[in-house]
Amino acid sequence: MRAFFAILAAFVAPSLVQAENHVTWEITPPVCGPGQPFRLQVRIESDDVLGPANQVGKEIKPPRGMALRFSGQLFRANATEATLNFSGVAPEDEGTYVLPGFNARFPSQVVAVPAITLIVSGKTGYRKEGRARAELVLPDRTFYVGEKIAGRVVMRGSEQETVTGTFGLECEAEGFNFQTEGSAFTQPLQDGLGLTKTFDLTPIRAGQGEFNLSGIMLVNTGDRISSLSTSGRDRPFNFRRKLTVEHVPETGRPADWGGSIGKLEATPPDLSNRFPEVGEPIKLKLTLVGEGNLERIVAPELPGSDSWDIALAPELRQRRGEGRRTFIYTLVPRLPGDLKTPVIRFATFNPDSKKFESVEFISVAVKVSGNAPAKVELVTMDPSAKIGAPAAKMITGLLTPTVAAGTKGVAKIEPLAASQPFWLSNSAALVTLLLATLVISVVGYFAAHPEILIRRRARGALRRHRAAALEAQRRQDYAAYARAITQGLRAGAAPLLQAEPLALTQSDILRALPSANLTLLTAVFLAADGAKYGAKDGAQAIAEDAQLQAMLNTLEAQL
Amino acid sequence: MSRFLTLLGLCFWGVTAPLRAGVGEAAYERGDYVEALQTWRAQAEQNGVTAELLAAIGNAEWKLGHKGRAMICWERALLLSPRNPVALAGIKHAQGAGGTDRPTQTWSENYAAFLGADLWLILGALGFWGTLLAVLVPKLRRQPMGDWTQRILITSATLFALSIPGLYGAYTLASRAVVRRTDVAVKLTPTVLGEALNGTAEGDVLRTGRKFNGHTFITSADGKGGWVKSTELEPIWGGGLPINLDQMQAP
Repeated sequence: MRAFFAILAAFVAPSLVQAENHVTWEITPPVCGPGQPFRLQVRIESDDVLGPANQVGKEIKPPRGMALRFSGQLFRANATEATLNFSGVAPEDEGTYVLPGFNARFPSQVVAVPAITLIVSGKTGYRKEGRARAELVLPDRTFYVGEKIAGRVVMRGSEQETVTGTFGLECEAEGFNFQTEGSAFTQPLQDGLGLTKTFDLTPIRAGQGEFNLSGIMLVNTGDRISSLSTSGRDRPFNFRRKLTVEHVPETGRPADWGGSIGKLEATPPDLSNRFPEVGEPIKLKLTLVGEGNLERIVAPELPGSDSWDIALAPELRQRRGEGRRTFIYTLVPRLPGDLKTPVIRFATFNPDSKKFESVEFISVAVKVSGNAPAKVELVTMDPSAKIGAPAAKMITGLLTPTVAAGTKGVAKIEPLAASQPFWLSNSAALVTLLLATLVISVVGYFAAHPEILIRRRARGALRRHRAAALEAQRRQDYAAYARAITQGLRAGAAPLLQAEPLALTQSDILRALPSANLTLLTAVFLAADGAKYGAKDGAQAIAEDAQLQAMLNTLEAQL
Repeated sequence: MSRFLTLLGLCFWGVTAPLRAGVGEAAYERGDYVEALQTWRAQAEQNGVTAELLAAIGNAEWKLGHKGRAMICWERALLLSPRNPVALAGIKHAQGAGGTDRPTQTWSENYAAFLGADLWLILGALGFWGTLLAVLVPKLRRQPMGDWTQRILITSATLFALSIPGLYGAYTLASRAVVRRTDVAVKLTPTVLGEALNGTAEGDVLRTGRKFNGHTFITSADGKGGWVKSTELEPIWGGGLPINLDQMQAP
């Protein structure tokens, strides 16, 4: 009998055990504006297979003023999960509204969904109606040279006009550096109707400057042209604001301040190894987080101590917008025992409080094993250095400068290459040298070829005598004509015969001009030279002028 | 009387000059970098800049957080003395700890940095003139080239050939500048409203190219090119102390 009841209990027990259900819900957006549409998602996880829910909408009783309807469900066959989706519109009055619990009826079981709370607030920026507008968000205070100001443009839309994009953000601001990070930094607003675009602004000089920011937002006006397309338009925006910039005050400025401006916090130091041996390098990673000009911060210098040799390791450049800056130090323990990493203090200027603040990285306990060397000396910071290799003298940090007294320096470091006298004097010398070379070469060439000048001179003399002959012919001066022709023939024939012109006779001219008429030549020579001996006049020669001119031309062509 | 006053003045100068030099170093040692900087700047304005003085001013500027000024001082110190240890350590420290970027030097730039730009130019000029005269003078004199002339020709031609990479390296080294503003946008176009491609920070050393419309084409240490406002850069060559970029206060 007992065995029978035990078997019966074993069969009945599973049917009596209730499946455990887990119900969660999410409202988007979490806080709604008055009259803002929202979406409610109820997720149910069960130990049993759920399947589709039936008649979900019938059991929901939304509070007064709230519209809510069941818009669909997600489930899979033989799955233990289901998601119920609801669409609603928040009430017009602000407050907290409770949606009473209801039952979700599945084929296998009924799941009780607990009460759901909806918060309606007028501070969400949600607008049911109205034009899309852009707002500039910048701190309202005095700025400081070198600080990084995180600003943003909030483009708020409404149910009528939603902002779907932005482009062409431009800034005109003398004395500021403006930087954006592209479309990746355009984030949708929580209500889904607008966008926010962030930018960084860095003042680079003191004084009062005007900040002018303009851009264009892409607005969807909601006028549906067809079921597949909606109408949109570009809407420009522009902001002008006068900003006051000052230098970080020198009063109370700590000596170790390295240009840091902002509200920064130190995170707990991260040590690569808390149980090193003597001489074993370990990495100490210090990270600053917060808002400020993290990229501009100079890493604090840490002097070594009896316990530690410290060197600043090269850091990787941080990406903009990470909001953190990490310094890595290489620490080498010099002595064994329980040591602590040095406390590192970091000065920063808080632009809100207008005071310098100290950020402190706490020390970390380290247990160092091994033996202290007889002479503690930092050999190398490079863990991959070969054992026994001579240690290179490392230059870490800044060296102490020494300035010699009374040394005369230069007012301006100008390269010799920029010196005008240097190039002028060199150019003048080069031109002179080239000119001298040219002159000497030309003179030398004529000296080596004297016939060039002799023939040139002969051509000139021949032309002069020809002109004189023409002149004499015009005057009907036969004797002068014959003399000029004779001199022209002698001057033209002399270089060809390599003789002096005055020594030539008509037979010599015939050697230079074999085709010439000897009778005519003789007559001309007689008329020229024979007048003093009582010869007949040269009227005949003038009559033969064409032949004589032809002789002169032939001679000139041969020169 | 005037001679007496002159002698007195010289004595006073001789006594105070070393003291003033010591004042700067002492102020630096005790961490008063503003005092050290003022002392050294006054010394530089009075006597001109030297490599040691520029390196010291660079250290003080760095300690005060002026990365751009410090890098300018160190780079200029290296122009005057290519192996100045303080300036070399400063630049190395700035690249490591300070996160500043500096273009890796090419072989010709390393070669040029061995002697300095001026010395390379002098050697190049000597080589050029020696070669030219050794070739031309025998021709002008219409005499064959003698032994000594040939030696001079070979020596001068070798010197000239060796100076060419030095001169080229010095030229490329000279076309560099340091970013002086805190955060500078590198733009796609040389216009005021040009699209910002990326950024470069104060103290970064950039290679500079042609100038246009108030902008200078730069190439960063990682090889990226773009346009930067010329007023945001300070060339390494052609100055003494770093220029003051702060806006003057309105009266």
